[in-house]
Amino acid sequence: MSDILWSGISRPARLFAYVILLLAAFWVIFPALWAVVNSVKTTTDTFRAGALIPFVDFKPTLTSWRSVLGDPEARQALLSSTIVSLGTTIFVLLLGTPAAYSLARFFPRRSRDITLWFLSQRVLPPAVVLIPFYVMMVALRLIDTWTGLIFCYSTFNLAFGVVIMRDVFRDVSIEIEEAAKVEGATHWQIFRLIALPLAVDGLIVSAVIVFAFTWNEALFASALTSQHAMTMPAFILASRSTRGVDFNTASVNTLLAIMPPVILSFFVQRFLARGLSFGAVKG
Amino acid sequence: MLLPAIVWVIAFTFFPLISVLHFSFTSYVLGQGITGYVGLQNYIDVLESAEFWHSIAITAIYVAIAVPAEVVLGFLLAWLVSLGASGSRVFRGILAAPLFTMEVAVGYLGVTLYTDQGGPITLVLGLLGIHIPWFSTGWGGLLGAIILDIWRWTPFVFLIALAAIGAIPATIYEAALLDTRSHWQIMLRLALPLCWPVMTVAILLLLVEALKVFGLPFALTSGGPGTSTQVFSIADYLTTIQFFDFGKGSAMGIIFLILVSIIITFFFRQMRRNIE
Repeated sequence: MSDILWSGISRPARLFAYVILLLAAFWVIFPALWAVVNSVKTTTDTFRAGALIPFVDFKPTLTSWRSVLGDPEARQALLSSTIVSLGTTIFVLLLGTPAAYSLARFFPRRSRDITLWFLSQRVLPPAVVLIPFYVMMVALRLIDTWTGLIFCYSTFNLAFGVVIMRDVFRDVSIEIEEAAKVEGATHWQIFRLIALPLAVDGLIVSAVIVFAFTWNEALFASALTSQHAMTMPAFILASRSTRGVDFNTASVNTLLAIMPPVILSFFVQRFLARGLSFGAVKG
Repeated sequence: MLLPAIVWVIAFTFFPLISVLHFSFTSYVLGQGITGYVGLQNYIDVLESAEFWHSIAITAIYVAIAVPAEVVLGFLLAWLVSLGASGSRVFRGILAAPLFTMEVAVGYLGVTLYTDQGGPITLVLGLLGIHIPWFSTGWGGLLGAIILDIWRWTPFVFLIALAAIGAIPATIYEAALLDTRSHWQIMLRLALPLCWPVMTVAILLLLVEALKVFGLPFALTSGGPGTSTQVFSIADYLTTIQFFDFGKGSAMGIIFLILVSIIITFFFRQMRRNIE
């Protein structure tokens, strides 16, 4: 949309719009800001009302950052989160991209039913299937392993990844592919050499979404890990119940846990709406 | 090319569903294994347990407040950003960011925000003479979790609404501006109906996510005080993982799945009718 609407608005109304947007931005940023401020406080300053602005109201310290980043458990959790999220993303893309492509090309009519079927996976509350997965992981001796978590998360995210990527492939022009077919290219060659390179942008968005969903998942992470493979959400929940909440290290943990997917998401903003609504909007 | 994905999904979604159904008819405590078939006893136990219905009620309250608030706020903010003021790209970036934050971390952060030991929210509300018992009462904890949920999920509606509003051709607005000067009217009578098909998808997906909520309230309150903030996923998790009662946990899951399916189907039908 252009600025037709904006130019037709009276001055007070513009001001009002800005005030609301600024308030909303403040509301979004404030918790993160609070975490940053708390992360550089000493314990005494934390409980002193009025200690709000670093350097002005209190002397900032990196003690909490040092203690968290020096804590082997926290480092292990960050490592596990990274490996499990990356592993799941790669696995979903490897298995899901060819499936998405064939859905888009060979079953354009059918794809509506398949979409619904895939979406029903998302409706299934994880708590419902937690027990069978737990039993399965015990039987396979995959409790508290990265492999076990990657296995579970791939299952949950695959359907979802396929639906997003199918939408990406549907937008790749079919004429080029038909020309290649005339030249005698096989389906596999067309997919690998033509469709895939043209769909890279969309695939990156899918990857970011799958990565973020995996990184943030807490229920399976808590139930299926105990130490070695504990990811950040499980680590946070566990330390909350065993050590209580130490506000300073809690703030550091929160920031470490929140940053990676948020930063990634900034790079793909333009395509996110489309991916998140499974192609319902063309954004 | 389709086969590996389909086989994978069938194997690892049907199999768990069938086993959860199977477990739900057994007496199954971890460590002892399946010690016999009990018929519908697990279901009767669950349906008669006040705790189960309590968790359903808590989930219902949570969803019934959070989802409508997120839809309204998300759409309004998307509209304001779409007006095209300078700096709207920056606003879009900021307002979308919470969607990618870890729910557990948000709930955990909530503890430091709501605390009455120097917490900013208590401080500000205190100046206004308001005191909300965030951690000592069930309603306080639930309210705290819902506020954070709104912080976390409004961006979902915001992003989708933004794309939907942006897809409306500028000529339609030009025509509308000839008829009315009221932007309020243009938003309600023009943009909202045109975006509605897309918005229904957003609402449906948001509803699905909200019904599954776990990490945020769990990190904020651990389900307490007592069981007062145990949404379904927390209650089921505790039954399963703390008490290892897999039979009863499975029955809880199945009943919840049936309830969720009914709600989702109902909404889906209703929305399809609206679009047609």
